[in-house]
Amino acid sequence: MSSDVRFTDFKSDKQPTWCPGCGDFGTMNGMMKALAETGNDPDNTFVVAGIGCSGKIGTYMHSYALHGVHGRALPVGQGVKMSRPDVEVMVAGGDGDGYSIGAGHFVHAVRRNVDMSYVVMDNRIYGLTKGQASPTSRSDFETSTTPEGPKQPPVNPLALALASGATFIAQSFASDALRHQEIVEAAIEHDGFGFVNVFSPCVTFNDVDTYDYFRDTLVDLDEEGHDPNDYEAAKQVILDGEKEYQGVMYQDENSVPYHEQHGVTEDMSEIPDGAPEDAMDLVREFY
Amino acid sequence: MAEDLNWAIGGEAGDGIDSTGKIFAQALSRAGRHVFTSKDFASRIRGGYTAYKIRTSVDEVQSVVDRLDILVALTQRTIDENLDELHEGSAIIYDGERSWEANIPEEMTAVDVPLKSLAEEAGGAIMRNVVALGAACEITGFDVAYLDESLEKRFGGKGSKIVENNKAAARLGQEYVQENYDLSHLEYDLETTDADYVLLNGDEAIGMGALAAGCRFYAGYPITPATNVMEYLTGRIEEYGGHVVQAEDELSAINMALGAARAGARSMTATSGPGIDLMAETFGLVATSETPLVIVDVMRSGPSTGMPTKQEQGDLNMTLYGGHGEIPRFVVAPTTISECFWKTVEAFNYAEKYQTPVYLVADLALAVTEQTFPPEAFDMDDVEIDRGKLVDDDEVDEWLDSQGRFRAHAITDDGVSPRAIPGTIDGAHMSTGLEHDELGRRTEDQDERVQQVDKRNRKVETAKEREEWDYREFGNADADNLVVSWGSNEGALVEALDYLEEDGIDVRVISVPYIFPRPDLTEEIEASEETIVVECNATGQFADVIEHDALTRVKRINKYTGVRFKADELAAEITEKLTEEVSAQ
Repeated sequence: MSSDVRFTDFKSDKQPTWCPGCGDFGTMNGMMKALAETGNDPDNTFVVAGIGCSGKIGTYMHSYALHGVHGRALPVGQGVKMSRPDVEVMVAGGDGDGYSIGAGHFVHAVRRNVDMSYVVMDNRIYGLTKGQASPTSRSDFETSTTPEGPKQPPVNPLALALASGATFIAQSFASDALRHQEIVEAAIEHDGFGFVNVFSPCVTFNDVDTYDYFRDTLVDLDEEGHDPNDYEAAKQVILDGEKEYQGVMYQDENSVPYHEQHGVTEDMSEIPDGAPEDAMDLVREFY
Repeated sequence: MAEDLNWAIGGEAGDGIDSTGKIFAQALSRAGRHVFTSKDFASRIRGGYTAYKIRTSVDEVQSVVDRLDILVALTQRTIDENLDELHEGSAIIYDGERSWEANIPEEMTAVDVPLKSLAEEAGGAIMRNVVALGAACEITGFDVAYLDESLEKRFGGKGSKIVENNKAAARLGQEYVQENYDLSHLEYDLETTDADYVLLNGDEAIGMGALAAGCRFYAGYPITPATNVMEYLTGRIEEYGGHVVQAEDELSAINMALGAARAGARSMTATSGPGIDLMAETFGLVATSETPLVIVDVMRSGPSTGMPTKQEQGDLNMTLYGGHGEIPRFVVAPTTISECFWKTVEAFNYAEKYQTPVYLVADLALAVTEQTFPPEAFDMDDVEIDRGKLVDDDEVDEWLDSQGRFRAHAITDDGVSPRAIPGTIDGAHMSTGLEHDELGRRTEDQDERVQQVDKRNRKVETAKEREEWDYREFGNADADNLVVSWGSNEGALVEALDYLEEDGIDVRVISVPYIFPRPDLTEEIEASEETIVVECNATGQFADVIEHDALTRVKRINKYTGVRFKADELAAEITEKLTEEVSAQ
């Protein structure tokens, strides 16, 4: 990896079609800066994007990338990382992609603790389909498909991660650029599955969870003297129904990533020109 | 026709039927005899009738027949289920000390052996099935010493005491029959040879083919009858630096496999009907992102949960047409267990050469059947690996546009674009399930759309020209009538030729392993008076495509009972179809 990688190297020449002011701009900038800061390079990085506004990120960034099927970004990312431990893998998606159609994969990706990062652009709304309730929408949030609100509690993705045995749980705010970048860097550097839920406001369809709302209410854990290695303290802030936080909520110091648990260390892309030398032994096993 | 012996052990699921049958099959194989096995089993862990059947001969055997000579019956139901196959010369081994009273037809030879008591004498009741194997050896004139090797293979890991106890149990069974019965009227005397055979099933052959072909990543979700592929790879693929991961569902399995393939690994997933439905979601992405991926569908009886442990060839349309939109793909369907190996090797090459999904479609009858082969049938020196247009750091330069961007979906004459994997310098690129331009960036430009669709489809045209999509042929090539088949029916069909010959009926048999692209059979069909397509489904999915190719009508033999074709049954059906034609004239 070259040492002179700048964050703009991770930028493609495609202009984003996100609405002006969309939180995803800030989220993406922080991701690119974090990748560059942690010593990565586009040729050694694989970004997997989901479907939705957030999913477009693969197009606006420059790296090896796949923009896949709705909800399945995490399985793709895990497949890349398991077969190529030498590659930096970052999965990016939205709240619909990650907590609705892909919720099952989220739980199991967390459990596997593959050494990669997962950045969710959570705007608490379905933006690309023009404003329907998402799994993180408030229970009284009125939308075209939920005129009286979803009338069900929003998913708490942090709690879902905690309950699934996460080793790194964090939350950031797209507009607090430095903190966001710092938190994503910590997720990348974490030895295991680094999960960051990013408040990434939708300026077009969500008039509740706005920039102003987060600016006014968000509590920074760093200012609270929170110890991310303290599981009980993490549980408290994650399950706190009153306040919303940014920062690293939980990090397991003893995290053992998937490749260490399973001894998966080889670059699987390299294979011999024919059958392995001892392959007739495989046949002889059937004697 | 080979002098064959048909043996079976049956009881309730959980009685160790499968492992006992496998021990006997291995002993026969060690004795230089050919073996072909089949299983009657239910989708449950305990309870319910289950049987393991062995057909053995010194000549090659490749199908099952409607005859059972020796039956080890652990339950009355085992006898009742097989009454049609039992005959006057059949011997039935059972334990008269058990609580059930055996109701055995008079004309058959009842061999009452105190299996449990003798097993206890040898060291434990658990070995009663092995006592029965010893008894079977005596009845068939098969040296009990051949059992030793397979007992060692089966129990070696559990210590020498267990092995010795089992050997003793087998001998007690053998001696008991020797001392208490005169079975000379049965006239069974199993011949042995010096041949060395290997014994394996289709799932294992697929797994071994994957390892030979350099598969390093497997993601799957357990499902009958494909689980065995995953179980085979687990513990072996690691020896080559690979990995097997059990995904949370098939949606995840195929996407993990896709991720590994994009990262450059030869990658595979295997499933069966319900799983292939879920995977269909990702078929289009594999194709449009031009990712080399091998997707194995071991067919079982559908639709929905269907009959999970029963045979069917019902997924041809699913693999040929499944997924929304239009998807270039290859569909390869091995016709024998050894071909499961070779077609898997081919599948990996097609996947990488043409950067498409390749469906390897096997069926339950291939997957769960064990068959003997000379080891040369899997000569690893014949395994060729072609990684297609995988580019390295130097070759990337040829494929950069004027601004230095890698053209991962470059429009080419043969439709195949260069493939750069992570780590390749200057190869970074995006790919997507959205329609895209040469760089992999979303586009809705009409010209670019048409260029990309044409390019992807051109890969199939290129493959049609470059590869050999031939069929396997049996019987008389000059015969008036043609029988066409796909998948596992080949074995039964080849043996049916012997029965047909006895009746003076001459046919040409074409067994097709390539479903798409596939050989064009128009000439062969036109040269024949009558064409019959044989398949294990109700609607004739392969017959439909054959009719479409040749613009004609064919006759059909369909079986969808959940049980594979048997040679004698197939011969009778073919005769009937051909006679129908005569009477119609």
